[in-house]
Amino acid sequence: MIENVAFQGLVGLSLAMYLWLISAGLTIIFGVLRIVNFAHGSLFMVGAYLAYTFYGQMGLPFALAIILSLLGTGVLGFVMERGFLKRLYNVDEAYQLLLTFGFILILDDAVKIIWGGVFKIPPMPDFLDGAWPVFDRAFPVYNVFVIAVGLLVAVLLWAVFEKTWWGRIARATAADREMASAIGINVPRVFSAVFVAGAMLAALGGAIGTPVRVAAPGIGSAMIIQAFIITVIGGLGNLKGAFVSSLIVGVLSAYGTLFFPVFELFFIFVIMAVVLLVRPQGLFSR
Amino acid sequence: MNKKASVSHVFSFIALVLLSAGWAHAQCKLGVPAIKVGVQGAASGPHSDYGRQIEMGSTIAMEEINAAGGVLGCKVEIRFMDDENKAATGVRNARLLVTDWGAHFLAGTDSSGVAMAIGPVLAELKRIQFFTHAATHRLTEELVASKGIQEIVRVSVPVYQDAIIAALIFKDRKDIKRWATIGADYEYGYVSWNLFKETLKKFRPDVEFVAEAWAPFLTLDFAPHISAVMAQKPDAIFATPWAGEAVQLLRQALIQGVFDRTQAWWQAMGGSVDVLEGIAPEVQKDRFRGKLWATARYIHNWPDTPENKAFIERFRKRWNRFPNYSAETTYSAFFIMKAAVEKAGSLDTAKVIGAMKGMQIRNPGGVRVFRTEDHQFVYNVPAGRPMVDPKFPIPVLGDLKIFPAKDYYRHPPFTPVSVAK
Repeated sequence: MIENVAFQGLVGLSLAMYLWLISAGLTIIFGVLRIVNFAHGSLFMVGAYLAYTFYGQMGLPFALAIILSLLGTGVLGFVMERGFLKRLYNVDEAYQLLLTFGFILILDDAVKIIWGGVFKIPPMPDFLDGAWPVFDRAFPVYNVFVIAVGLLVAVLLWAVFEKTWWGRIARATAADREMASAIGINVPRVFSAVFVAGAMLAALGGAIGTPVRVAAPGIGSAMIIQAFIITVIGGLGNLKGAFVSSLIVGVLSAYGTLFFPVFELFFIFVIMAVVLLVRPQGLFSR
Repeated sequence: MNKKASVSHVFSFIALVLLSAGWAHAQCKLGVPAIKVGVQGAASGPHSDYGRQIEMGSTIAMEEINAAGGVLGCKVEIRFMDDENKAATGVRNARLLVTDWGAHFLAGTDSSGVAMAIGPVLAELKRIQFFTHAATHRLTEELVASKGIQEIVRVSVPVYQDAIIAALIFKDRKDIKRWATIGADYEYGYVSWNLFKETLKKFRPDVEFVAEAWAPFLTLDFAPHISAVMAQKPDAIFATPWAGEAVQLLRQALIQGVFDRTQAWWQAMGGSVDVLEGIAPEVQKDRFRGKLWATARYIHNWPDTPENKAFIERFRKRWNRFPNYSAETTYSAFFIMKAAVEKAGSLDTAKVIGAMKGMQIRNPGGVRVFRTEDHQFVYNVPAGRPMVDPKFPIPVLGDLKIFPAKDYYRHPPFTPVSVAK
């Protein structure tokens, strides 16, 4: 019994890492730009499709395909921010919601036009095909890889935000953009950089899953709801909160599947409702 | 050429066009410019290949019927719409196709949820829909046999295929005592599992149903579902997620070593073309170790008849793909419509339904027989194991188990099946 619980926890951990990658981008974009980017899930989807193209169609090595898909999605993020979102920073938030919602529709249709409506699942990369014996069962190497990437990104983001000059600039801009501007920080450039970084994080979440998951229209919308719930639980704009609440949601939903298969889908909403009742500002926000 | 001559050319051309249009119209014995068939399917998302196949099947049927002179001299026209796998979209499309576009018939629909929403609307629209994929037994058992909605006709085999055939195959496997399901988290998944359990229990009171995990549409990761049911050490798994989700599920099961630890895996719609294409690398490497079983609502390598071979050949030539079952069922629905309208000599719903009574029709998928009580076309589809066949570029189902349709279809009067999880 205890082995099964531990094994399910590991599976939940790998789920949590996908959630973490997508909600990390969402939360830093909100934290610095104060934009609720509905289209963040679509960037996740674009990342998955680009990885499919570079790896599944062009036959590039999987790692290179992931990097290229991050760069491609980063360029898309740059165009979205510079060409469109930038114009809406000083108007009512409703316009930002409308614009980013519009991007969902545009990107969903764009992938249908470019890749067709049919789902894409490339073959498994050999080095990730296999399993490690864990508690007398087989734990997929693939899930170990996903956990490793997620943790690595967590450490990197922490190091960038806490230890580098860039991180301090971003935090200063998040705290008070007028003051940041007054002391000579190029705020528009910070906004672009943060948006591009967020877009690349979403793309990473989409790209690393392609050989075991799927690239299909609609996967972005499927992810964005969970990502929003996670950022709400963790506190909007709070990176540590996003990490911890990804872990909570990922692991608990895996346990939901094990222990309460009939009610599993309600689990994540129950967690969110409880957090909103007890700490409406999120677990980690002051 | 002088100006006068060219003007007269234009006039005579227009006259010719008008004449031929009038002639074509006059040729149509039903007094309509064309027989319009509104077609729907899921054409976006992980299940989108089914909608695409519905579109391809209906298009090639229309082209063939028109090339051979139409239906009673009337051309057939189609309009395809994406129902996005959503009930509300499906109902909206059905209304639009009939009231706006003027459809005489409707065809298609992938999801059971969408079908159950459209069913009652058909009575109001007074149009027949030929359902060519949606599988819940309730569509025909409840809406037709018990509620009497005449406008519903189903050309594809319902969940009997997914559940009862599985029970008939595995009743003889004495080594399999513990069953678990990874089910589609909606009516189709619940009904298949309940019907499977009910049927298998009759033959094998000793089997146990030890675990279940349910996955909704657009599940990206089945890892928690797989590990949750594997925790109960089942001997075999009954799986109902379909299309791209079946491919993801099977691949995720492989990397959790499920095929090393179980005796069999039943993949309800695993004989579908998109799934066979998706798992082709794994089938070629024999990664499923002969333990994977699947069926579909039609399988491209069965029946071994000239009709089926010719259909496959034409379809591949036209689309460069193998026809999936939703293509065959939709294609056949058009020829059923043609036969019924020709017999009725009318587009009137009651007359067309009347003309279908007692109908037996030879389609690529075999002989379909219309069952009056529930408007279900009854035909055989086997189950088997995905394997490589040098005659086909994609895997086929081999080791086929064929059961007569009359033995495994449920019969009226129907006893209720639980639709709860």
